[in-house]
Amino acid sequence: MSTTARPVRPLVALAAGGALLALAGCAPATASGGGEPLEGGTVVYAHQQEPACVFGGWIEQAYLSYQVLDSLLSLDEDGTAVPWLADSYEVSDDQLAWTFHLKGDVTFTDGSPLTAGVVAHNFDYWIAGGNSTAQVWLDGYYTSAEALDDLTLVVHLARPYPRLPETLTQGYFGIQSQEALENRSEEQNCEAPIGTGAFTVDSWSRGSEIVLKRNPDYTSWPANAKHQGPAIVDTVEWKFVADATTRVAALRSGEVQAIYDVPAVEWASLGDEGYELEKYVTAGRPQQLTFTTSRGVFADEKVRQAFAYSLDRESAVETIGQGLIPFEGNGGVSQSTPGYSQKAADRYDYDPDQANALLDEAGWTGRDDDGTRTKDGERLTVVLPYGAGSIINADGAAILQALQEQATKVGFDVQLVPVPQSEFFAGAYSTAEEKDITVGYWTAVTAGILYINWRPSTADHPNYWNNAFYNDSTLEGYILEGNSASDVDAQNAAYQRAQEYIADHALAIGVYDRLSTLAVGGSLKDVWQEHSQGGPVFHDAYLVG
Amino acid sequence: MTTLAPAPVAPPVSASRPRRRRPAPSLVAAIAVIAFLLLAAAWPALLATHSPTANDFAAALQPPSFAHWFGTDEAGRDLYSRVVWGARESLLIGAGAATVSLGLAVVLGTAAALGGRILSGVVGFVLEVAFAFPALLLALLLVAVLGPSAWTQVLAVGIGTAPGYARIVRAQVLAARSSGYVEAAVALGHPRRRIVLRQILPNALRPLVAIFALSVGQSIVWASSLAFLGLGVAPPSSEWGALLDAGRAYITRAPWLVVIPGLVIVALALAATSLGGHLRTALDKGEKA
Repeated sequence: MSTTARPVRPLVALAAGGALLALAGCAPATASGGGEPLEGGTVVYAHQQEPACVFGGWIEQAYLSYQVLDSLLSLDEDGTAVPWLADSYEVSDDQLAWTFHLKGDVTFTDGSPLTAGVVAHNFDYWIAGGNSTAQVWLDGYYTSAEALDDLTLVVHLARPYPRLPETLTQGYFGIQSQEALENRSEEQNCEAPIGTGAFTVDSWSRGSEIVLKRNPDYTSWPANAKHQGPAIVDTVEWKFVADATTRVAALRSGEVQAIYDVPAVEWASLGDEGYELEKYVTAGRPQQLTFTTSRGVFADEKVRQAFAYSLDRESAVETIGQGLIPFEGNGGVSQSTPGYSQKAADRYDYDPDQANALLDEAGWTGRDDDGTRTKDGERLTVVLPYGAGSIINADGAAILQALQEQATKVGFDVQLVPVPQSEFFAGAYSTAEEKDITVGYWTAVTAGILYINWRPSTADHPNYWNNAFYNDSTLEGYILEGNSASDVDAQNAAYQRAQEYIADHALAIGVYDRLSTLAVGGSLKDVWQEHSQGGPVFHDAYLVG
Repeated sequence: MTTLAPAPVAPPVSASRPRRRRPAPSLVAAIAVIAFLLLAAAWPALLATHSPTANDFAAALQPPSFAHWFGTDEAGRDLYSRVVWGARESLLIGAGAATVSLGLAVVLGTAAALGGRILSGVVGFVLEVAFAFPALLLALLLVAVLGPSAWTQVLAVGIGTAPGYARIVRAQVLAARSSGYVEAAVALGHPRRRIVLRQILPNALRPLVAIFALSVGQSIVWASSLAFLGLGVAPPSSEWGALLDAGRAYITRAPWLVVIPGLVIVALALAATSLGGHLRTALDKGEKA
């Protein structure tokens, strides 16, 4: 590891845009763990998953692109959208036109200027599929974006969407250079997108690391940054280390200064050893089990409810999660999501007797030699594929095995199918015919995620993320009401009705909340977790020595 | 990859019996290990002390004790019972892969040695290319195409390790073909087919009995490597490689989850290797007697 950092001198920091002044205000002069704050140097960070591109619709891509691309707004700790590329915004009385006033004198790292026209182009790029997640967030609401002048953007909506500012803080809405999008190859924009951000992508060694270099001309830090000015470190070596044990060993040996996704079993010991631990409970859809309702054994609501009652989810999560991973009973949204319903979360306690009774009522009264229930010669078999190592980490896989065993006791035969990342993202096990349960998460800053996951799928307007394959106008109505209600309480009430509907009909049940965790060594300070998705922010980070 | 040298080919098997001697301790130990594991594979319920899949959250991550001889895993499952129940799958994969490997090796090696000029050339070329291809890479490729499962492991490991054995078979057959007893059979006017089936193959393939035992141990190690990479059988299988893979996340907090399955794999590989060595020695002595 090379850290050619220099001690910070006030004049250097002042020349760098007041970085040190802010640093002096926000960080101790002598960091605990020892040493003076340094300017420059290389941060070596070990992450788990390696995405196909820096910018895209997966949260792992948002974590990366957040370092390189700025967004219009950033989410503050209290859930408020604060200025980033946009200094301010307002909405029309009919809630259908959002006006964003952009910062002046901001340039992309290819030298082109940031203008309202460029941002409008990005909106059109996302909705056309440039970012699959941004696309589904805007789908059904966004109609157009126009530049009133160089620094004034108006976004037109078809229906009111009061939580648009918060939604835009997610990394999927990072702004790229229009010139780069139009003139560079798809591959170039995939590997090294051009933004206005604190870092640029210097190189990508596939399977190994991405090297991020400091953007010395950075002027557009968000209002919630810990310091003003360009990044303090020169380089971030963003390494991909899939194995959690290896990441922890690399941190302990000093080979890396920070790691992502700390295994639950190592959490307490790393804390005892003095590492700084950061934990972010991701809002949005938790790690949950969504039942395929259009065919198979879970087409019957009683069987779905029986499955829910058969699982002691809380004990499994508490034990395997070592008290770190939060149990989540709600299958709609996680407990850190505004508008969360505790009633929905509490809907199914562990009750194997009730599970057995429901299965008997549903006609699954026979048993084969393995103890699996049968009905008319058919076994009560359910297929549960999961993205091994990508969507479900080692702790999650262990929890699924515990649930598998619990369901066996009332007569289910649960077949776990670990699916490698490449196959999973290529669409394996995405159809109703291939699975009985979908497991996974979807991070979000609002309960608006319910619209993405539960909007009915029609021939004209298919919804590939409706994993329950469940089309219901009542449920959709609740969600649409939540999306457009102008009052936050009314939004939350509608979203809660939707969650309770999902629970009552056992369409999905929660298991645990997805965490974003960091462990940071003593030589690295002020790495913080961004508040919309929990990714690490290196703009404010500095080394001590 | 195996690096076994071809065994020298001797005259036909003699009918004389070797002298009775006390078995070597290593042979006794090897037989004991293999017998225990075969028993575990055949009747796991006889040897296991707990259900291999039953959760006991209150007993999670317990070190080895009288209650749990090999300790427990993150869900409180008894590791000893999981090892016992995993024996069947592990041994089947090992024996299956060894069978596939040696079966392919016999066909390809014999064809390369006894086929016509073109067939020998083609098969020989294929073997050289396959031999140059890293066996693990070949196995990974097959798993990627066919998807992870026990049968895929059998095929992947079997095909991946076949080229090495095929070279041994080819060398054995070539040596047998030029031996004095084959020349004598040719001089006596025996038909070619009879010479191949009665003289060449039985003598050339005899060393494979010992190699098979070695190959079983090696195949289990290979299959465990695939399982360790997450390309093995589906959970909650307690195939030993899968146990290693699952246990590595807990290596600092609960090292027994990795050390014990690892030792079991080592014990079987050593036992199979030792048994193979003894078999080979016995066969060689039989030939000389």
